[in-house]
Amino acid sequence: MSARDRIESGLRRLVAASWAERLGLSFAALVASVLVGGLIVFFSGTAATCQEPAYGVFGLTSCYNPISVYSVLVTGAFGSILSDPFNFNVALTFKETTLLIFTGLSVAVAFRAGLFNIGSQGQLIFGGLASAITVLTAGPLLTGVGGFLLVPLGVLAGALAGALYGAVPGALKAYAGANEVITTIMLNFVAEQIAFFVVSAYFAAPDSQSVETSQIPPAAVLESALFGSGSDFSIVAFVGGLVLVAGLYYLIKYTAFGFDLRTSGLQPEAARFGGVDAKRTIVSSMALSGAFAGIGGAVWVLMVLGRFQTGVPALGFDGITVSILAGNNPLGVVPAALLFGVLKSGSLAVQLSTGVPIQLVGVLRGLIILFVAMPEFFRLLGKQFVTTDREPAVATDGGEQTPTEPSSTGGTDDPGGER
Amino acid sequence: MSVGRLRSALDGGLRHTLAYGLAGLVVLAALYGLVFPETMVGDLLRLATSKSTLGAALRLAVPIACAAVGGIFAEKAGVINIGLEGLLIISAFTGVFVTDAVGSVFSIPGIWVGFVAGVLASTLLSLLFAVVCIRFRADQIIAGLAVWLIALGLAPFAATVIYGSVNTSSVGTLGTWTIPVLSELPFVGPVLFDASPTVYLMFLVVGGGWYVLNRTSFGRHVRASGENPKALDTAGVDVTRVRYLAITLSGVLSGIGGVGLSLGQVGQFIGNGQTMVNGKGFIAIVAYLFGNYNPLGAFGASVLFAGLDALQLRLQQIPAYAVPSSLVQTIPYVTVIVVLALVGHTRVPSAAGDHYESGED
Repeated sequence: MSARDRIESGLRRLVAASWAERLGLSFAALVASVLVGGLIVFFSGTAATCQEPAYGVFGLTSCYNPISVYSVLVTGAFGSILSDPFNFNVALTFKETTLLIFTGLSVAVAFRAGLFNIGSQGQLIFGGLASAITVLTAGPLLTGVGGFLLVPLGVLAGALAGALYGAVPGALKAYAGANEVITTIMLNFVAEQIAFFVVSAYFAAPDSQSVETSQIPPAAVLESALFGSGSDFSIVAFVGGLVLVAGLYYLIKYTAFGFDLRTSGLQPEAARFGGVDAKRTIVSSMALSGAFAGIGGAVWVLMVLGRFQTGVPALGFDGITVSILAGNNPLGVVPAALLFGVLKSGSLAVQLSTGVPIQLVGVLRGLIILFVAMPEFFRLLGKQFVTTDREPAVATDGGEQTPTEPSSTGGTDDPGGER
Repeated sequence: MSVGRLRSALDGGLRHTLAYGLAGLVVLAALYGLVFPETMVGDLLRLATSKSTLGAALRLAVPIACAAVGGIFAEKAGVINIGLEGLLIISAFTGVFVTDAVGSVFSIPGIWVGFVAGVLASTLLSLLFAVVCIRFRADQIIAGLAVWLIALGLAPFAATVIYGSVNTSSVGTLGTWTIPVLSELPFVGPVLFDASPTVYLMFLVVGGGWYVLNRTSFGRHVRASGENPKALDTAGVDVTRVRYLAITLSGVLSGIGGVGLSLGQVGQFIGNGQTMVNGKGFIAIVAYLFGNYNPLGAFGASVLFAGLDALQLRLQQIPAYAVPSSLVQTIPYVTVIVVLALVGHTRVPSAAGDHYESGED
């Protein structure tokens, strides 16, 4: 290879490869986890009991047919979208997507700064709780002018609470060297218990069996336009999420803070020499990360439940998967969240019509992370199909799975082919 | 080098100060309680030293201590196994499921078959983790998270498939083994020698773990693999093999912990929320950090965390101390955070987290 080629391919790699690689890797990881998930569905079907005539391969009979599971998943997530684009299933999918955008952004911004925020779940719980308490307290005081003020107030409260709770592990990491992976996980457990205590001791709804606050004032509810009422999806929240995506993208890419954040994520030593205050960056990135999760909690309260209830769904953990799948790029968070929205809303239909438990999504969540963690796996898999005489210059990608180019032109660099 | 040594000495000093400080506080509190038995402290002392609390502390320490010793082996060998929680979950579930599914096999009671199956499940999952980390050079933290999340999804999924609920049905526990003469000993007898078989297993794991790590050539290889894999490689020992073995061992030991939790204490797998494991795998990580990678130290820390847990369980049964249970339950987690903040700069084995391939540079 000539020097010119080398430089050219190097440049191309710098410009395009990093995100194209991530895209290829995410896609390959998704395919692989769907395949493994299908196997798990099939084999768990051999243990399940069912009245339906069983489906069998190689003498093994299974109650579940993986192919129909996945097709029900997709059709279930969209309903009859062609004749009725605003049907209930689509609303459900978008509801999940909206929530996951916030937690996905939360994890992504921390990751960019080189921090693992496993604590989005706890930050989301506190954000939701603070949001509910705020609108419940402010509601009676702001009757009349309420509508336009209550929602922003609730979101702000959620963001603040999330930010504060995110800053705690940030400060522990920056000033005491405590590993943020463990502290954020512990803080999830703490948040769950404290929310339980606060709600049951001070804000419990008078006549309710479960631990939850009273219904928030109607003026604070994010109304579902477009989609029918009761769909728990608000286009306002979705658009707000998209605005945050753009805002975060801009922040990371074009601002001084974003530069500090990225450099301390990529090269902590270099960042320090470059005059970045590492400790402050750690605390502020974690606070920002917590703020996103907190807004997610506020949206969960204002848009979905209309109250705070303990036993918050695992939106924070799903956010980890969304962010990892998105290559920690804010722009990638949207499609990744949509994909997970499809998985989550479709799995309801799956449980109803095939009997495969909804927890399947949790399994897929873990598998996706596992596969994204090992690009090397796909590179080696690709080697089975492509013979390349070049050393693998790039970190690798999943693109080699479906080789579309002869190897001599350097197929390893261009994973875009399979899309 | 000298800076590093100074740092580690300081950290060691801090840990010692902390440990002695804690011990001193406990002794002071105990003295106060002895002198004034009518006070709250006296009450607490009676409670904390009662046979049932101490017994419960040991029982609750089983999953934490076993996973912690497992984690030590992995991390000493250079692989941070953050998936201990997942290993505990998968073994806890498999143990109950297999116990429920098989009757006795060759006159071995089903519960012991389940026990072995649970350990096997955890071992297999750790082997997967090992392959992903070593063969496919995955980031250890992310792969560990994946192991946790896979188990967190898979166990309730399987429970729902089989039992129609995230919880399994109850299969009973391993009960207790009373050791004839020793259990007659005053005070320690009933606590130490009238206990669940899993407690005896834990002692074996901790003692055996210490012995293997410090007194055998395998232990030497494990430590070298984490500190200086290149030197180990030069000495003709296969680093990859050592790491595979160490991770697998962490799976076996965590498996004992997981089954110890489900079959030793509860007799059922509970899959709500974070499942019955509820963070014990992560607490185990902190336990071995606090114990400075020494199985005996990790055991001490595990008993400390478990003791807090046992005490809060007891406190809830006493109406006079009607502390909201949800707040009391945060104590072990908050303790973990505080401990981690105080001994944040633990001296991690220098090659932990790195990949090693023979013949590299």
